[in-house]
Amino acid sequence: MSVFVIGYYTLLLAVSCLAAFYNKRQIFMVAFGLTLVSFVLGIVGGTAALQAVAICAGLLGLAAMVSFAFREFLIQISSAELGKELRTAPMTAAFGMFVIFVYVIMGIFAPWIAPHGEAEVIASAFAPADENMLLGADQLGRDMFSRIIYGARNSVGLALAATIAAFILGAFAGLLAATKGGWFDQFMGRFADVIMSIPSLIFALLMLSIFGPHVHVIVIAVAIIYAPRVFRLTRAVAGNVVVMDYIEAAQLRGEGTWYLIRREILPNSTAPLVAEFGLEFCFVFLLVAGLSFLGLGIQPPTADWGSMVRENATLISFGDITPLIPAAAIALLTVGVNFVVDWMLHRSSGLKE
Amino acid sequence: MTKKKEVLLEVKDLEIQGYSDETWVDIIKGVDLTLHRGEVLGLIGESGAGKSTIGAAAMGYARDGTRISNGSIEFDGMELTTASEEEKRSLRGHRIAYVAQSAAASFNPSHKLIDQYSEAPLQYRLKKRTEAQEDAMELYEKLRLPNPQEIGFRYPHQVSGGQLQRAMTAMAMSCKPDLIIFDEPTTALDVTTQIEVLAAIRDIVDEYNTAAIYITHDLAVVAQMADTIKVLLKGEEVEEATTKEMLDNPKEDYTKSLWAVRSFKRDQKERPKNDTPLISVKGVDASYTGGEKVLDDVSFDVYEGMTVAVVGESGSGKSTTARVITGLLPPSKGEVLFKGEPFPPDYRNRTKDQLRQCQMIYQMADTALNPKVKIREIIGRPAQFYSGLSGAALKNRVDELLDLIELEPSQYYNRYPSELSGGQKQRIGIARALAAEPTFIVCDEVTSALDQLVAEGILRLLDRLQKELNLAYMFITHDLATVRSIADEVVVMQHGKVVEQGPKTEMFTPPHHPYTDLLLSSVPEMDPEWLTTLLEERGVDNVGDAATAQIDPNDPKIAG
Repeated sequence: MSVFVIGYYTLLLAVSCLAAFYNKRQIFMVAFGLTLVSFVLGIVGGTAALQAVAICAGLLGLAAMVSFAFREFLIQISSAELGKELRTAPMTAAFGMFVIFVYVIMGIFAPWIAPHGEAEVIASAFAPADENMLLGADQLGRDMFSRIIYGARNSVGLALAATIAAFILGAFAGLLAATKGGWFDQFMGRFADVIMSIPSLIFALLMLSIFGPHVHVIVIAVAIIYAPRVFRLTRAVAGNVVVMDYIEAAQLRGEGTWYLIRREILPNSTAPLVAEFGLEFCFVFLLVAGLSFLGLGIQPPTADWGSMVRENATLISFGDITPLIPAAAIALLTVGVNFVVDWMLHRSSGLKE
Repeated sequence: MTKKKEVLLEVKDLEIQGYSDETWVDIIKGVDLTLHRGEVLGLIGESGAGKSTIGAAAMGYARDGTRISNGSIEFDGMELTTASEEEKRSLRGHRIAYVAQSAAASFNPSHKLIDQYSEAPLQYRLKKRTEAQEDAMELYEKLRLPNPQEIGFRYPHQVSGGQLQRAMTAMAMSCKPDLIIFDEPTTALDVTTQIEVLAAIRDIVDEYNTAAIYITHDLAVVAQMADTIKVLLKGEEVEEATTKEMLDNPKEDYTKSLWAVRSFKRDQKERPKNDTPLISVKGVDASYTGGEKVLDDVSFDVYEGMTVAVVGESGSGKSTTARVITGLLPPSKGEVLFKGEPFPPDYRNRTKDQLRQCQMIYQMADTALNPKVKIREIIGRPAQFYSGLSGAALKNRVDELLDLIELEPSQYYNRYPSELSGGQKQRIGIARALAAEPTFIVCDEVTSALDQLVAEGILRLLDRLQKELNLAYMFITHDLATVRSIADEVVVMQHGKVVEQGPKTEMFTPPHHPYTDLLLSSVPEMDPEWLTTLLEERGVDNVGDAATAQIDPNDPKIAG
């Protein structure tokens, strides 16, 4: 029995007792449940297993503390009204916002943060990590860490551009269809059906092999693939708004379609659209990463997380986790965005705890 | 009527809090209530007075976001505030039942009425399914539903609103509870239908000696139903007395003001002679795409500066007429004239000036104001749009309009609609219509969603504006009290036809068209004996739908 093990159990039991004493049911259940599980884990896996549990718990605690501090930070720097909204954000959403914040900083300031250039060969292929290269080198001897940082700029930037394009296209068509109604609505709806009936990956591959793998082709192709979904949602949301009396009042006033969309309908349908934006962003991001993985996305030597997974894939057979790092970067962003989206969906649906 | 019997429900010093803006706010501030077996207690008050909250609390139930913070609720010797959820559940539906305002929304649309009726008796193992169904038919018969043997096997959408409300009452009676809570059961119904539901509820409560709490904002209704009346204001009791005493001799000022609400009257104006009417509807037929004719040969005139009230039950085509005039629904036959000139049937073909002349005020102020736009833009936009005002001139105009509707400009200028009360929202709706400087305003049930005191304020405002700005109103309503107070001329509609029209004084003095007669006699009066007398006159089986159906088309009064 090492000092670590004794300390470990003492801490857990102390926390459970305190929680029970102050009648914090949830904390007590977690702490005491963990204690019981640790008994089994300790017997089966020894001290190592307990250390792993402690590290996981420590990481979770750290993430929670970072999220909490970050939320307080956001509340402090934002206006009173926005601060009140932010106060309702759960820890998960705060964590998501923190992740997004870090990625944005990473993307914007990539050339200053990264120790090496994204195409700069500085070591032999697959060189292991040392004090010069935090994560080792890739298949050409470029610094993995620097490429990940540049990747944030390229992959996220591309996905963001494609999502915004899809939203402008889809939301505008949806609002117009809901306002105009009639044959225009029918036509747009059927047109959206046609696009949706084409498998998205095959459509993207087709477009890219016809026009070549350029950035703007990727953006346009992805925008076309995702616009119908946005169209459908926007049309449904706007459809509920169009039947309101205030729209009728505006129509009877003689207002034009553009005013109706801009001032009357759009402000009343933003909440679900913003939530959908976050969700679609994840899908677009994964599609772009998938295209890169297939070699049709962003072309080398530009760093991109999807292609980085593919280029270093061979290492996985040697038990090295290097190819999983860009994959983890993708996963973390997706999870973070989804946390924020969940919160927004919750707010826009008007549900209360 | 006082029945001194054993106490069934005793509420003492009840306090309920609601959660809003991250703090608990008191909604009910210490209300006492005693209900004996077989007694009917009427709870009245404005919306937000806490009537429904108390009703729910009588079942030991606090709605989402509320909590019972203090006091005791004792039902037949059992304390509900400390009872476990399990114990409370065994009371609900079995010994305490609830009848909600909207029966259409409270029935499950995918089960037959009788299955929903037998759910509670089966749940509590009081009866077998067949017994419960026999029971149901018996009750349906007592509630005077047509075809009691068969009606239970229909789905909720297959029966009318009044029938559904009675079926709901039957469902509440299914376990022969000791206490039923009626939460505004007739508010959503037409006056003619309301009578049959009221009569049915009263009989059934008498017969089974059930105690009841009857929640409503309509004094005349509660006068027919209750033994004692309790008046609530903002979560506090104002006064409580037996019905008769309360009606004859109210003590508190607030109660008196409730009673006096219908006192608003104005002088009736005469039609100007030798003048073209401002709006003239001529032989209009209309139908919604591919449907039946909703309007059939509707004709009437509205003169400058006068108020024409259009009355009728729901579905009689009142609102459709308004849609034809505003141009939202082009008529299939006939035309609308404005100062003798034909108005283009579709609003899209009207000029800006034609659109400006004819404005509309809506029933639901909530859906009529864009929730994401500030008051200054809601009111300012028409002024900007039609008169091209901007900058300081626009701000002055908005201030002027806010002054006109008796709201302090500086206070409301930058608010959103959700920060206003129902009456204030309706005022903003009026200001938006006025901003266009119209000559004719369609008021579509503008007061029916409001409390009586607030509604009266709106009526007074509309009247004042009419005098100041020489406006003409088309006032759509099903409330004859409103008609009495504001109209100059009345148009009575039934099944899309105009059955009678003329100056108000003429319309309210006999002889009437039989339908007008039915409408007039169906309006509840303050007299607690009104329902009894009316039922004696007409006969219990001759109210509501039955009475409407019995109107003889060959009645000589129709021709005259």
